[in-house]
Amino acid sequence: MQLFKTPHIQFLRYKYVALAVTGIIVLAGVLNVTMGKGLKLGVDFGEGTLIRVKFKDPVSVTQVRDLLKSVGLGSSVIQETGKQGREFQIRSIETVQAGAAALGIEAHEQLGDSVIKALKGSDGQAETARGLPDLNTIEEKSLSVLLDSFSPGKGEELARKVISYRNENGIIRDFSELQNAAVGQDVISFLKDRTYLGKLTILSRETVGPQVGKDLRRKATQATIWALIGMLVYIAVRFKLAYGVSAIFTLTQDVLITTSIYTFTNREINLPIIAGILTIVGFSINDTIVIFDRVRELSRTMKKESLEEIMNAALNQTLGRTVITSGTVFLTVLALFLFGGEVINDFAFIMLIGTIEGVYSTVYLSCPVVLFWHNMFKTKKGFRK
Amino acid sequence: MKKALRWKVLLVLAAFGLAVFLAVPPKKKIKLGLDLKGGIHLVLQVVTEDAINVETDLEIARFQELFKKNNLTFQTAIKDRPGRFTIQGVNPDQEGKTRDLVDQYAQAWDYAFVGDKVTFSMTQPTVLALKDQAVNQTLETIRNRIDQFGVAEPIIQRQGEDRILVELPGVEDPDRVKNLIKVTAILEWKLVKAGPAPDEASLLQPYGGVVPEDMEVVKGDPKRGQAGFSLVDKVATITGKDLRSVRRSVDEWNNPAVSFTLNTDGGRRFEKVTAENIGKPLAIILDGKIQSAPTINSRIPAETGGIIQGRFTVEEAEDLVVILKAGALPAGIKYLEERTVGPALGSDSVRQGLLAGLVAILSVMSFMVIYYRFSGLNAIVALIFNIILLFGALGYFRATLTLPGIAGIILGIGMAVDANVLIFERIKEEQALGKGVLSSISLGFSRAFSAIFDSNLTTIISAIFLFQFGTGPIKGYAITLIISLVANLFTAVFVSHLIFDVAVKKTAKRLSI
Repeated sequence: MQLFKTPHIQFLRYKYVALAVTGIIVLAGVLNVTMGKGLKLGVDFGEGTLIRVKFKDPVSVTQVRDLLKSVGLGSSVIQETGKQGREFQIRSIETVQAGAAALGIEAHEQLGDSVIKALKGSDGQAETARGLPDLNTIEEKSLSVLLDSFSPGKGEELARKVISYRNENGIIRDFSELQNAAVGQDVISFLKDRTYLGKLTILSRETVGPQVGKDLRRKATQATIWALIGMLVYIAVRFKLAYGVSAIFTLTQDVLITTSIYTFTNREINLPIIAGILTIVGFSINDTIVIFDRVRELSRTMKKESLEEIMNAALNQTLGRTVITSGTVFLTVLALFLFGGEVINDFAFIMLIGTIEGVYSTVYLSCPVVLFWHNMFKTKKGFRK
Repeated sequence: MKKALRWKVLLVLAAFGLAVFLAVPPKKKIKLGLDLKGGIHLVLQVVTEDAINVETDLEIARFQELFKKNNLTFQTAIKDRPGRFTIQGVNPDQEGKTRDLVDQYAQAWDYAFVGDKVTFSMTQPTVLALKDQAVNQTLETIRNRIDQFGVAEPIIQRQGEDRILVELPGVEDPDRVKNLIKVTAILEWKLVKAGPAPDEASLLQPYGGVVPEDMEVVKGDPKRGQAGFSLVDKVATITGKDLRSVRRSVDEWNNPAVSFTLNTDGGRRFEKVTAENIGKPLAIILDGKIQSAPTINSRIPAETGGIIQGRFTVEEAEDLVVILKAGALPAGIKYLEERTVGPALGSDSVRQGLLAGLVAILSVMSFMVIYYRFSGLNAIVALIFNIILLFGALGYFRATLTLPGIAGIILGIGMAVDANVLIFERIKEEQALGKGVLSSISLGFSRAFSAIFDSNLTTIISAIFLFQFGTGPIKGYAITLIISLVANLFTAVFVSHLIFDVAVKKTAKRLSI
C-alpha cells in the first residue's frame, strides 16, 4: 500500500511565509501571556495547594465555589475533572499570594485544610459526635478492628474487601453498593449501624512551598541548556555547524509554537507538560535529522543542483515517512487523550498539538536556517566524511 | 540456515529470554511511582541551625564550668546568636591565665579578646560538620520511625545539603505519618511543683511572679486532656534516653496507653525519686507539653517500669511507641513539599493508563499491518521485542515507572515505529528504482541506518543530560527514554533485518510491503 507517490512540492519557496506564520503564532502566544490570560504555572512550578476531591453526589462548579466562598476562598481555581460532576480539582494559590505570601508551606497547608473543611461543611458532624467513623475515609486497620468486633477473626479480610472496593470506585455512595464487594448482607447492615458515608473523599493533595518551585525551575533550566548544547555539538560533528544551529532553531520553534497554542487553553503548566514538551523536542530532533540525513545523502549525487533544490528533493522523498510516522504517534497520543484518564490528560493534549505542529515544522522549518547560513557565509555544500 | 544467521537468531533469543526473566512477574519487578500507585512524597528541610544552637548552649555551659574550676572570674556569658557567644567582664589581672585556658580548650572555636570580653565563634569546618551530622542523624531517626511504623519499600534519601526526601508508597493516612516524622520526641519525666493553673501569673503568684531558678513553666497538651500551666523541676528525673523498652498496652480502665521499662541507671533514679515524693504528681512531658501528670502512690522499684496515659486512641498510642523506640530528632524539620496521592486515584490512573496504552499499541499495530502487510508484522514483532527489552531493563535497574516515564516510553515507541517506517519506505524506494527484493531489503536497511542512528543518538545524548541535571520526574522520563532508544537500535535495525533474512526466500520475486 502506498499513500501517495513521491510529490514534487517546492516547500522551500514558502520559507518566508512559514517563518511569518511561526512568528505570528509565537507573537500571539507572547501577547496572550503578557497581556491576556497569562502563563498558568501549575502547583509544581509555582507554589500552593492542589486538591483533587471526589464527591458522593454530583455537584456543580458553582456549588463548590459557593462552599469555598463561605470561608473566603472563592477565588480558588476550580476545575471539574470527572464526567459525572463528582470529581473536582481545586487550586488555592491566588489567595495565599494575596494574603500571606511570606508564610510558605504552612500557610498553604492551612489553606488546604480550610478548603476541605469548607467543602465538608456540616457533613458528618452529628455522626462524629455519636462516635461513628466515616467509611469513606477510615483506615483499613481501624476498619478491621471494627469489623473484628462483629465477626471475630474475619475483620481483616472483610476490611480488605471493603477498602479495595472503595479504592476501585473512589468513594462509596450507598451502603447497598457493598454487595458488589462480596461482603454479606449482615456485614452491610452492621456497617450501616456503626459507620456513616461522608460526602467526599480526597483523591490527592499536593502542597509545594516556594523554595521547591524555585529549585525545580532552576534545575529544569540547567538540564535544558545542557541538553541543547549536547545536541548542537553532536549534530555539528556528524553534519555541520549550520545544521546543528538549524536543528536547535527548529526545536525552539516547536516548543514556542506548541506552548503558544497551549496558553490559549485553560490548562496549567505542570511537570507532565514539561515531559510532553521534552517529548515534542525529541520527535522534532528526530524528524529534523531524518531530513538532514537525506540532504547529506543527496548532496553526494546531486552535485550540480543548488542546496535549495537538494533540500526540496529531500523533503519530498521523505514526505511519506513524515506523514506515516506522525500519524502513528498521533494515534498513540489520541488514545492517551481519550482513555488515559485525568492525570495524563494535559500531557496527551499538548502532545496532540505537538504532533500536528510537528509535520508542519519538519517540512517548513527544518531547512531554512541552513539555507540562510549557507547564503550568508558562502559555505560549501559538502559534509564531513 | 547459514551459520552466521543461526548465531544471530540465538543471540536474539537469548536477549529475549533474559529480558523476560528480568521482567517477570512484572507486578513484582516493576515498581510504580507514587503518582501511579498512591502514597506520600515529602521533601523536608532539616533546621540545621538547631544543632548549632544546642552545641553553642553546651559550650557556654562548659566554659562557665571551666572558668569556675580554674578560679577565673567573669560577669556573664551571653549567646549572641547560634554559633557565637561572648564571655563578658573577664578580670584583667587574669587575662594571661584566661588566654591559656581558652587556647587549650577552644579547638572548635575562633576567639578574640577585646577589652574585658572574649568572643567565641564556631569555626566553619565545625559548623559544616555539625550540620552534616544533624542531617544524617535526622535521616536515621526518620528511617527508624518509618521502619517501626511499618511501610513497605520506603525511600528515605538525603538531597543536597539539608534536605531529606521521603517517599512512602501506599500509605493511607498522610497526616498521621507527617506527625510521626515531624515530632521532635523529647520525652521527660519531671516533678510537678505547682499547678496546673489557668495562666502563668496565678501559677507564679506564690513565688512572687518569678520562675525559681531550678524550675520551669510548661503547658498541658490539650489533645491529651491536660489544660493550663504547671511549674516543674528544671532537671528531669528520667528522660526518653533512659527507656529500655516501650510497648502499647492498656491502663486499668482499658484505655490505650504506653508502658515502658527503664535501664538500670534510669530505674535507680526513678525508684529514688518516687520513694522520696510519694503523694506528689510526676509530669510526663513530650516536646514541652504535659501528656499526663499521675500522682506517685508508692515507691516504684527500678525493674517495674511504668505506664504513660493520656487519652490516647489506639493509633496515637502506637505512634508514641514508634517515636519513643526510634529516639528524638537532633534538630527541627520543616516541610518544603508534600504530595499525597490516594489509592483510589492511583489505581484509576493505572487502569486508565493500561487501557490507553493498549488502545494505542493496538491501533499503531493494525495500521502497520494494513499499510505494510507482512513487513508490518515484522515491525510489530520488533516493537513487542523492544517493549519486552525495556521492561527487562527497568526490572534490572529496579527503576520506578512514573507518569513522565510513560511519556518517555511513548517517545521511544514512536521512534521505534519511525525506524521501521524509515527502513520500509527506503525499501520501497529501492524497489521503485528496479532493484531486486533481496538487494532492496539490504539497501533499505543500510541506507536508512545513518538517519536512525543519528536521530536516536542525538535524543539519547539529550536524555543523558536530562538524567544528569534533572530532578526526580524528569529523571524518570530520561531513563525510560534512554533504555528504549538503545533497545530500538537493536530491535528495529538488527532484529527486523534478521526476520527478513530468515523469512524472505532468496528466490522471492515480490516482497509484501
